[in-house]
Amino acid sequence: MPSLPLLEMNNVVAGYGKIDIVNNISIRVNEGEIVTLLGANGMGKTTTIKTILSQTNIRKGEIKYKGKIITRFPTYKIAMLGISYCPERREIFANLTTKENLQAGAYLLKTHKEFKENLDRVYALFPVLKKRQNQISESLSGGEQEMLAIARSLMSNPNLLLLDEPSLGLAPKLVELIAITLREINDSGVSILLIEQNAKLALELSNYGYLMRKGKIAIEGPCKELKNNEGIKDVYLGIATHQKED
Amino acid sequence: MNYLLQQIINALGYGGVIALLAAGYTMTFGIINLVNFAYGEVFMLGAFAAYFCINIWNLPFWLVFLIGIAASIVVGFVIERTTFKPVRGADMVTLFITGLGASIVVRNLAVMIFDDRLKSFSLPDFLKGLHSLGDILLFNKTIAIVLVTLVIGLVLIYLVKKTKIGIAMRSISYNAQMSKCLGMNSEKVIIITFIISSSLAGIAAYLQGILFGSIQASMGFTAVVYAFIASVMGGVGNIVGAMVMGYFLAIGGNLFIAFLPPDLVGLKSLFVWGVFFLILIFRPSGLFRANIK
Repeated sequence: MPSLPLLEMNNVVAGYGKIDIVNNISIRVNEGEIVTLLGANGMGKTTTIKTILSQTNIRKGEIKYKGKIITRFPTYKIAMLGISYCPERREIFANLTTKENLQAGAYLLKTHKEFKENLDRVYALFPVLKKRQNQISESLSGGEQEMLAIARSLMSNPNLLLLDEPSLGLAPKLVELIAITLREINDSGVSILLIEQNAKLALELSNYGYLMRKGKIAIEGPCKELKNNEGIKDVYLGIATHQKED
Repeated sequence: MNYLLQQIINALGYGGVIALLAAGYTMTFGIINLVNFAYGEVFMLGAFAAYFCINIWNLPFWLVFLIGIAASIVVGFVIERTTFKPVRGADMVTLFITGLGASIVVRNLAVMIFDDRLKSFSLPDFLKGLHSLGDILLFNKTIAIVLVTLVIGLVLIYLVKKTKIGIAMRSISYNAQMSKCLGMNSEKVIIITFIISSSLAGIAAYLQGILFGSIQASMGFTAVVYAFIASVMGGVGNIVGAMVMGYFLAIGGNLFIAFLPPDLVGLKSLFVWGVFFLILIFRPSGLFRANIK
């Protein structure tokens, strides 16, 4: 598979105010890949994604998308380039209905026909959303809200999806559904940068992984190798013992 | 009974003015959490622009109407750029004081330049006259104001519920940061919201002029207080709620003084404030919901 870099972060230092949270990190997402950012809470994974979206204070380094520098672009222009974001804790618009949330996600589409097609596509991925389409989204269950957040981020025909903790707080059955859906999304040509607490799931889904520790990249490599990496097992001790039992 | 009905009908004109102002007010309140007291001055200057068009240039009514709206838009835009843009994202109290400051400066400048005497505002010929149904009187201008208010209300509902810009306004009012991640240019949407809101003030200004037959430089203050209370009562950001409450305040105020001895007519505003305090005590989050609906 020819691997063209879709997104590159080169030696980026960024944070909030004067405090640097990510320190000199370099990350690459190739076209068609799922890349995962691993690490415990507070290690800078979410900050990394927010940095790509220009929502942090970027002090050094550069970010490139399709070879073009996008460092410190206004957030909405980054979205216009085809980078879509599904945040941790969903952040759906609770004052809108399910369908209106999807309309918000489709803001960048030019025609109603495209909107209709994408709507049908995400309803096919998550049939429950169709059932709830005229319900105020605040009244959806946690799992339905997560599906809505993912669906919303797909409405704009993105090339790259930045996905933060999609399995957080979901029942195992739903986690499985989300995992299958992410595969489908990726098969349809969308590259994904995935943050996931569930390291086992993340390593199974992804092609390549980075382990973050205190704002730096501690370990990186293809996921097949990372699964057997002692450093990863150290960090995810529970998972490591679980894997031994397998 | 007829006396009561007449009181309600008398309030429909002013109800329409307040309903339009409350709708415009609640939009900027909802989208950037802005308690904008300078909105009263947008309204007042729209009325003065219309006044000059009538009394100095003798323009036809529809042109007066359009120029009044345009003036309000310009004033609203200038106030937004010079006053609110520099403090975007600040807390509600900062925004409130900023708006209050802008309001005081503009209003007092207007009082200095135009003085605060009533200025007569003439009614176009086709709106003169009245209908009598039994012993109930219905003025043509009241009918016109109610119709205009109704049509604008429907247009606003369509705009906010069904159009792309409406969805964007509501998304940004709930979570601006997330909306930007979906490709929404929030600054552009905020400016559009200000333009719509200011044009509503311009329309309301013309309607108030023809309703009372006069305007004055300090007219913005009472209007903005009514609009503020109606929008809080209607639920911040809720356009329908704000408009309904605008009518409620106008009709309630009229009925309230209808039962008072004539020498207590000056207590009309007691009704508005009384209702406001009751709402704040019992339903502080507004009667309906928050964010632009």
